[in-house]
Amino acid sequence: MSRSTAEIVREYGPFPAVDQVHGVTYDGQHVWIAAGDTLNAFDPASGKTLRAIDVAAHAGTAFDGQHLFQLAEDRIQKIDPKTGRVLATIPAPGGGGDSGLTWAEGTLWVGQYRDRTIHQVDPHTGAILRTIESNRFVTGVTWIDGELWHGTWEGDESEVRRVDPRTGEVLERLEMPPGVGVSGLESDGGDQFFCGGGGSGKVRTVRRPRRGPATGSGAEISVDSTSK
Amino acid sequence: MDSLITAAARALAAGDPLGALKRVALRDDAPALALRGIAMAQLGDLVRAKALLRRAARAFGPKEAVARARCVVAEAEIALVSRDLGWPAKTLDAARATLDAHGDRVNAAHARYLEVRRLLLIGRLDAAERTLAELDPAPFPPASRTAHELVVAGIAMRRLRTKAARAALARAERAARLARIPALTAEVESASLVLNTPAARLLASGEERLLLLEEVETLLASNALVVDACRHVVRDARTVASLARRPVLFALGRALGEAWPGDVPRDTLVARAFGAKHADESHRARLRVEVGRLRTVLRRLADVRATKRGFALTPRLAREVVVLARPVEEEHAAVLAFLADGESWSSSALALALGTSQRTVQRALDALAAAGKVQSCGRGRARRWMTPPVPGFTTTLLLPAPLPID
Repeated sequence: MSRSTAEIVREYGPFPAVDQVHGVTYDGQHVWIAAGDTLNAFDPASGKTLRAIDVAAHAGTAFDGQHLFQLAEDRIQKIDPKTGRVLATIPAPGGGGDSGLTWAEGTLWVGQYRDRTIHQVDPHTGAILRTIESNRFVTGVTWIDGELWHGTWEGDESEVRRVDPRTGEVLERLEMPPGVGVSGLESDGGDQFFCGGGGSGKVRTVRRPRRGPATGSGAEISVDSTSK
Repeated sequence: MDSLITAAARALAAGDPLGALKRVALRDDAPALALRGIAMAQLGDLVRAKALLRRAARAFGPKEAVARARCVVAEAEIALVSRDLGWPAKTLDAARATLDAHGDRVNAAHARYLEVRRLLLIGRLDAAERTLAELDPAPFPPASRTAHELVVAGIAMRRLRTKAARAALARAERAARLARIPALTAEVESASLVLNTPAARLLASGEERLLLLEEVETLLASNALVVDACRHVVRDARTVASLARRPVLFALGRALGEAWPGDVPRDTLVARAFGAKHADESHRARLRVEVGRLRTVLRRLADVRATKRGFALTPRLAREVVVLARPVEEEHAAVLAFLADGESWSSSALALALGTSQRTVQRALDALAAAGKVQSCGRGRARRWMTPPVPGFTTTLLLPAPLPID
């Protein structure tokens, strides 16, 4: 397992009328944040808020290329980002204990916070297809290049970690500075993560470590190969 | 934080405790227990609230120290509001230190206010004042600032500093308006009422007049010799002689004060001080002894001069002598006079001070407690009595949010 300090590249927010960021997703152009009663989109280049959809948004957010998915209470809502309309609703696998949400290859992945699990869910029925155990509270979840990453936040300690999607084994850990938490997680499709900052009302970008021999700015990865 | 907890917390923050309960009623994990506890407290079920918060504090993991500390603070506030003063101050202090160490300054300050309010409530004015002096309310939200100013006003009133009390109440009123909590505004109003209600009665030259707290303060700073029957002291602007534990001497002093500048016949003094209907020789001898003692106690304030028919008071520096009494002279006035110092008393100390039996004092205290004029804290030998609170004890719950992520 490799372990390093998370490299925070940029900070966005706090945003107007947003006290907490409960979830975060990226539609290729805009970053969406779940702000309680609204889903807000901002431009990652300028950091400016572009629009807000009035919809309950209590935890994780996901984007499937066409629709937004949003956790609210104990449900997952499917939302048309153009109109803001809720098109469908399925039960959330954790019955309300759900935190993170992401889309990958036709299914939804849902983090269950205090149960320390991640479920793979059928996006049409809400049926649980598979469950992975973590050993930390699970906040945001995201997939990038066949890697499953999730945020953890327990008291003062927060990390972004890569886990084996079959066994849940921790493969890589990026430690956030003390007091800085990750409440939501989404890859930008490249080498960065957008991390929701909970009550700080911020979104931070964290660099994804490069693979293979350290080149260029990859020096921040201190490889510590203690296997679990 | 998970989805349903967020939804419940938002409902709670929006003043909808039932909405919060609806969402987490069936959940027993730590954040759900904490939210249920806060919601129950807001709904007025303090017993249930306390139990839930205690379970929540235990259920939070070792790394969730802040969440646990907030539960402890919330439980302490509920204990204070339900006048459970035996609540362990050490636990609250440890929680405050945890919150401080983790940068949760608002809730750390809230824990401090609870501590000050408790000190004020159990009549430890000096300690309350010292603790309060360490706090700067400026960076805190309006609700906490209101609570802070109410405590400042409460101490100032106990200390008879009415100007400071008025200023603090004015600040409290402004903060309460910003906080938009109607119950808090009402607390400030009722506190202000105390300043506009007669606090004492002045007996001077055979006449009586009700005094506001401000006038009492002015009187005590004037060059009058005041025989203060609210606190059982005799004082002028410079010197205070306490007769709190000398009830016979105080009765004599008061009789002399009421008659000033005239004198008081020996028989009257015997009747007032010893309760005897007719003064015989032994009474007169005892009177001489007691007057001698009074003379010693008051030597820097006044002379007790013998006249043809009795005794009279001659102040040393003061220009006049007045008596200050409670607005309404009631039964058990002596007990109330002792408690008027704002400190807490044991019934045995009161019995000693009053020179009566503990049973008599206990009966008086029970009657006064039933009338809502005194209150007690603690049990058995540790039980202490005091007059009901002056402002500074908001009964409005300003509970901290107990959630681990924010």
